[in-house]
Amino acid sequence: MSEPRALVVGFDDSDSARAALHAAIELARALGDRLVIVFGYEPPGRQGEEHSAVLAAARELGERVTRHALARAEAEQVPAEVILVGQRPVDALLSQARILDARMIVVGSAREHPVKGALIGSTPHRLLHLADRPVLAVPAGPI
Amino acid sequence: MAPRAVESKGLKKDAIGFVDALVIGLASTAPAYSLAAVIGLIVIDAGVQAPAVLIASFVPMFFIAAAFYYMDRADPDCGTTFSWVTRTLGPYVGWMGGWAITMTGVLVVGSLADVAARYAFLLVGWDAAAESKWAVIAFAVCLIAIMTWVCVIGTEASATLQRVLIFGQVAGLLLFAVVALGKVAFGGAPSTSVDPQLSWLSPFAVDSLSVLTVGMLTGVFIYWGWESAVNLTEETSGDGAASGLAGILSTVILLVTYIVTTVACVAYAGPRLLSEFADDEGIFSTLAADVLGSPLDKLVVLAILTSALASTQTTILPASRTTLSMARADAMPAALGRIHPRYLTPHVSTIVIGVVATVWYVGVSAFSENFLFDTLTALALMIAFYYALTGIACVIHYRRELTRSVRSFLFIGVAPAIGALVLGYLWVKATIDYADPETSYTGSAIFGIGLPTVIGIGFLLLGVVFMAVWRLGGHRDFFGRPSFEAVDPDVAAGRVVLEEDKAGAGAA
Repeated sequence: MSEPRALVVGFDDSDSARAALHAAIELARALGDRLVIVFGYEPPGRQGEEHSAVLAAARELGERVTRHALARAEAEQVPAEVILVGQRPVDALLSQARILDARMIVVGSAREHPVKGALIGSTPHRLLHLADRPVLAVPAGPI
Repeated sequence: MAPRAVESKGLKKDAIGFVDALVIGLASTAPAYSLAAVIGLIVIDAGVQAPAVLIASFVPMFFIAAAFYYMDRADPDCGTTFSWVTRTLGPYVGWMGGWAITMTGVLVVGSLADVAARYAFLLVGWDAAAESKWAVIAFAVCLIAIMTWVCVIGTEASATLQRVLIFGQVAGLLLFAVVALGKVAFGGAPSTSVDPQLSWLSPFAVDSLSVLTVGMLTGVFIYWGWESAVNLTEETSGDGAASGLAGILSTVILLVTYIVTTVACVAYAGPRLLSEFADDEGIFSTLAADVLGSPLDKLVVLAILTSALASTQTTILPASRTTLSMARADAMPAALGRIHPRYLTPHVSTIVIGVVATVWYVGVSAFSENFLFDTLTALALMIAFYYALTGIACVIHYRRELTRSVRSFLFIGVAPAIGALVLGYLWVKATIDYADPETSYTGSAIFGIGLPTVIGIGFLLLGVVFMAVWRLGGHRDFFGRPSFEAVDPDVAAGRVVLEEDKAGAGAA
């Protein structure tokens, strides 16, 4: 039997991210894949004092929220691991998907107006345009 | 299973290009906004010697930038002023340094919004609103809310937009300067105009030391932020020479823009006419309308407006991040150290700074006859205070490395020490001078003490009170920390790579 393929899922503890995790767990079970939970923690704005403090705080946040995601995947008996990446969320997902040759990238979709998404930077929006593999955008909502 | 961390710091991984480094170098000081905010003050103070004052005030800033540069190299992951000063001068002085940075955020936001609101009215030709105190205040408050929100969601203007804006600003200022100087030389300038002279550039021709002091303090404000450009050139892709070049080039462009524009203003209007309407906070717009005529003058107005808005990130960010860093070090309430789960920004501290800044701005605008003047002077006092601390911290941190070479002695020892001395002197001298309402030309005073001093010292005293309250509440982890830490010789020599996780004073 060949090595299980990776399913990369972006997780940030939002409702839509939880929906994405749920969908990814189901998919991983159906496909026999392993789950890779990715959190990109590079905050916006390179300039400015104490950038490193924000970076460290964001990373701790990532450790905390992904722990829940990992516990959930393990409770559902899907093989999973967590990767924290010191990049912007979109870049983190893209780079990890490429490194792991992931089957697809699963993210939550906040169901925002496209103009708002374009203004404040929507992760699924950017992923759809930049990814070199399938992207699954999962909206929050009753599942 | 412990989460696997992938070590790739964004900065080092996708290093920025030459043009980006140049853009950041220029944008970090917001040249158009800075000049618009202070040109009247410097001219009133120094007359035709205004350009000389701008040159002189660059010197201590250059020395302090050396301190930032070397401290950042020593401990790139350990924060900036707050963390460094805490490690070298102890938790109490470090706390005050961090507090000063936070207060610069509170002070500057109002002045940014004030300038932006005024120039936005001027841009659309609604001069009556630009002259109405309450119209400006109302619009400025809306702008503060928007700017705070932008800082919370952390949207960065795309690199392309930033390039267009910054080069547009510099081009707008230089266009104004060249046309103004052309009119002085070939006719078309008002009868009060004077021919520029080389002596205008000489700091030694400045009338008195007190003129130089006041002017240099204002200069501290216009070069504020420049040190971050120096640090960032380290991250430039390509060979070391190219990255150094971006830093040097952005500094040269910055200095030339400031000096040429100031010379043009003074020469075109003449010092007397200029000081007569230096009170007018829309001075640049008035001058531009006269020099360039419609509709080209709107370019200058637009440059100042975009500069004020664009510099929000470079001014609120340091304040909110310093607050976050302090909260993480147990030096401030933990809530201020929270990170927004989606935007990854210190949203609590950003919003707190935005709200305090709004209250402050509205309150002082209503009271002061010239909010901008008093705030900028107080702001410069605060900047001088924490820059001086940073300079001292650098010398203490590197004290064992100073005698290694002439180069390190000069750049890590002498330069930061002189910078700290000059800025410390400016801080003390200006605080005393501005205590006399007669010295401050607006004459605003509380209990007979000039407003800039009241603000500058008042905020620091408030800090002392808050620090005392915090100390009484315990927090031994922070207040019990050792001082006089020296740099690890291996780190100084660049032999070891620091772990990423050492970030933040709190983690130490």
